[in-house]
Amino acid sequence: MQEHIPLSLLAEQIQQTIQNQFEQDSYWVSARIMNVKKYESNRRCYLNLEESKNGTKIAEMKAVFWSNYYSEIEKFEKYIQQPFKDGTEIICKVKVRFHKIYGLNLDIIQLDIAHKLGALELERQQTLEKLLLSNQSSIKEIDGQYFTYNNQLALPLVIKNIAFITAANSDGQRDFIQELAKNKHAYNFHIDEYLCTIQGEQAHELILEQLALIVKNKHPYDIVVIVRGGGSLGDFKPFDQFELANKVANYPIPIFTGIGHDRNQSIVDLMAREFKTPTKVAAYIVDYNFEFENRLLRLKERIFDRIDTQITAAKESLAYAKRMIKLASPEAILDRGFAIIKQAGEIITDPKKIKTGTAISTYLKDEIIESVIQKKEKNEKRNYI
Amino acid sequence: MKKEITYKQAYEQLEALVEALESGEISLEQLANKVKEAKDLIAICEKKLRKVEKESNQAMQEE
Repeated sequence: MQEHIPLSLLAEQIQQTIQNQFEQDSYWVSARIMNVKKYESNRRCYLNLEESKNGTKIAEMKAVFWSNYYSEIEKFEKYIQQPFKDGTEIICKVKVRFHKIYGLNLDIIQLDIAHKLGALELERQQTLEKLLLSNQSSIKEIDGQYFTYNNQLALPLVIKNIAFITAANSDGQRDFIQELAKNKHAYNFHIDEYLCTIQGEQAHELILEQLALIVKNKHPYDIVVIVRGGGSLGDFKPFDQFELANKVANYPIPIFTGIGHDRNQSIVDLMAREFKTPTKVAAYIVDYNFEFENRLLRLKERIFDRIDTQITAAKESLAYAKRMIKLASPEAILDRGFAIIKQAGEIITDPKKIKTGTAISTYLKDEIIESVIQKKEKNEKRNYI
Repeated sequence: MKKEITYKQAYEQLEALVEALESGEISLEQLANKVKEAKDLIAICEKKLRKVEKESNQAMQEE
């Protein structure tokens, strides 16, 4: 019989060696996570850390988040706005542990969220630069704001016809439709739904297909609305994807986005008109149409004010003309005690025309006096009374 | 058929008559005729004005 020791003793020696070597230290490692199993009820997460080179796996180790470090995962999902799931590249701080039954394990005690954010931001900046470079005439960047062919398209005076890209039975679909339906001005809308998956790896391709279909349908849409349901923590990658952002920037119908990205804007948001949430998109459309109605009301008021002013001025002018005419009329002259002299039916204004001994008619206000001229003399002193 | 006179035409004629009366260039023989002419023009203007006012009030109330 060979000289031997119990397995436990060997395991203890390994444990001891590993402890001596690794106990005091922790290590930052970069790896891809796989086989992620999250147990939210007891706040633990088991996973594998892997590293590949040229498509071949060159290292793999079991790892775990114990309950006192589970909050690292929550922080990651909150700040990165991506689920902590298989295939995600991470940098994490680990302690090396050996358990006599469970074997070698890495305890993850911290995630490098800042690095992850930086990597995502870098990727985003590269996509934006590529967009600017390949669309020099249709995308301009001024002080961080993007002016694209699409988001500079003029909106119609009223938004009535809407192509609506959304996921079937999603919160986003419901929120948008409800907000439009319950609008307090009772405006009506024509909405065609273009349903597809809005989240996940292939989402951008499906959205691109719907955008192509909308153009093909040739319906006179005023705008295209793309919304993503709120609620679950999303993977916003499709909205930072080059092909989709490129299509949106150059799309011939104004695009409104409500993809629920609270922390920052996706690239698609930058290329289109962004409203954060489906409800906000709908509220804007209603307000936009109300603003048009208001402009009409204000114009109408101005028109009626103008008409009113003109009518009043015309009335005053007519009243003045009436007074003048009244004062100048023969009746008014007779009222003031003057008389009109007629001879043979003709008004006499030149006394030279009347001869002594002829008959004249003197018209007073209420009577006509018939008389014969006995004598005429000049009124040289202009003495009237 | 004679084309109906517009408010503007009627008012311009009226204005010219009033100016002539103010300046004293209308003789007594012409006065009665001119006054009648002016009264007719005033009637035309008032009728047209009332029509515009009525239509404008109706349009405002149609809202």
